[in-house]
Amino acid sequence: MADDKKEDVTEVKSEIKTGSAEAKPTASTKEAAAPTAKPASKVTPAKAAKAPQPPDPRVEQAVKQGEAIKAAIEKKLGADTVEEVTATKDIPILRIASAKWREAVTFLRDDPEQSYNYVELFAGTDYKDYIEVVLYFYSMTHGTYINVKTRTPRDEAIIPSLTPVLPGVNWEEREVYDLLGVTFEGHPDLRRIMMWDGWNGYPLRKDYSDFQNMPQREGEPHS
Amino acid sequence: MSTTLRSEEMILNVGPQHPSTHGVFRLVVTLDGEQIVDADPVVGYLHRGTEKLAEGLQYTQIIPYTDRLDYIAAMLNNYALVHTVEHALDLEIPARAEHLRILVMELNRIASHLLFLGTYLLDLGAMSPFLYVFQERERIVQLFNEISGARLTYNYMRVGGVKWDAPPGWIEKVREFVPFMREKVKMYDKLISGNEIFLHRVRGIGVITQEDALQYSLSGINLRSTGIRFDLRKNRTYSIYDQFDFDMVTAENGDCYDRYYIHLEEIRQALNIVEQAAAQIPDGPVLGKVPKLIRIPAGEYYTSIEGARGELGVYIVSDGKDKPYRLKFRRPSFVNLQILRKMLIGQSMANLIAILGAVNIVLGEVDA
Repeated sequence: MADDKKEDVTEVKSEIKTGSAEAKPTASTKEAAAPTAKPASKVTPAKAAKAPQPPDPRVEQAVKQGEAIKAAIEKKLGADTVEEVTATKDIPILRIASAKWREAVTFLRDDPEQSYNYVELFAGTDYKDYIEVVLYFYSMTHGTYINVKTRTPRDEAIIPSLTPVLPGVNWEEREVYDLLGVTFEGHPDLRRIMMWDGWNGYPLRKDYSDFQNMPQREGEPHS
Repeated sequence: MSTTLRSEEMILNVGPQHPSTHGVFRLVVTLDGEQIVDADPVVGYLHRGTEKLAEGLQYTQIIPYTDRLDYIAAMLNNYALVHTVEHALDLEIPARAEHLRILVMELNRIASHLLFLGTYLLDLGAMSPFLYVFQERERIVQLFNEISGARLTYNYMRVGGVKWDAPPGWIEKVREFVPFMREKVKMYDKLISGNEIFLHRVRGIGVITQEDALQYSLSGINLRSTGIRFDLRKNRTYSIYDQFDFDMVTAENGDCYDRYYIHLEEIRQALNIVEQAAAQIPDGPVLGKVPKLIRIPAGEYYTSIEGARGELGVYIVSDGKDKPYRLKFRRPSFVNLQILRKMLIGQSMANLIAILGAVNIVLGEVDA
């Protein structure tokens, strides 16, 4: 019973999604489509995998915005501060050289034109070749937000700490240190936060083995 | 002979099993008599590695894990995850599903705030509100049991909609709940808000300034209690919150009393939303057109919602496969808890409980 119903539902929705002209004018189609109608430029995920996507106007807009911020940063801190400008959906992404990480973030916070004063997200990701630290920054005054990130090599992962300028990332940096093994230079209290001090390895790294913290019985060879 | 008394500092462990910590949270406080000189929060006792586990799971399979983070408001956690996936896929959600989501999310917010009222008053020594709030919360939990089959860990949201349609008569029960709950909120307001003992315990205690709130990335009620108007339902509206008429609740003093009062007032606002959503809920499908195997295009995505405790966000890095390459939860309890040390230093030991309680943390979420 339930399955039949769901099957029906998917069929109706598929017509809405693709926005094809021969969509059956059933009652439910109309009702479901009316409040959620969006521009026809939307592509279904299934299609997106096959056909190359047309350039997304949101991304182009965001990259433009990112380029403007890049120009402002580099005017203050010199060239080569921003390594790359990209965007995801409507958010500009700025990749900053790790040596100037703290200066660039402080500039974004203090400059009245930018005034990104609220940290939304602080996360780290292990990309096998390098580790990336990401910061989503929101401006309470302008209502805009950007994504700034920096990269560091895996075997010598060191990034300047932001805690002296943004006390709100204190625990987040400790978490990244704990789970990904990034050392934040200048952090006042860099200790493990989730795992305990005797823990071996960094769990969120891709080469971490579930077994490397197994207790070993005496006399058995270590694996 | 010296006229001053010799004194020395004492280190005191609060927790991990202290009743006021609502879970396993340890606080190492250094005391000089009654005064707190230093405080070191120790977390991680409930760390289950949800983010690591998620890397080996498909998106739908992660949903039940989100239930276990903030287990008091599991519907909101469910939604935070599916919202990011839907955002990444640009999915459109059927109107009935959106309305059902709003209904359960706001009901869950009410249940969560009720539990805060009860436990906070219990921490401060008032036993009866704790027993009262469980009566109303029980009605909400019963409603959730009918719609999702679970009382605490609902696993109700799906990418593209919700798992079940509401059973017959459910919407009517929600409609009946609204006036009932309004009366109860009035009762709590009369019972607690003007109580002399309560006021002495919470007024002017644990004050947060606007500057500190922004620097420490506080969110939710902790941020709004300082007067900053920031509610993601209004500032960066998601789902269909823009269709409903409700107010953002803020206060001015940033003390524990304000945080308590915003909780009470947000129950009223949530009831407004529930009433409107229950009145205009349309018929139709509850699950949109979603591919059998959900694959997110390569890239990184972050969206956040207004959870019961603050900004609840999910950050997904995808390499185009059906499992996330990296998934990070922005847990409001974890971020909000950082300011605790700053708030506690200089306070007396008796205020510790009042301050910690008003931050309103859930340890499942702090430790993830």
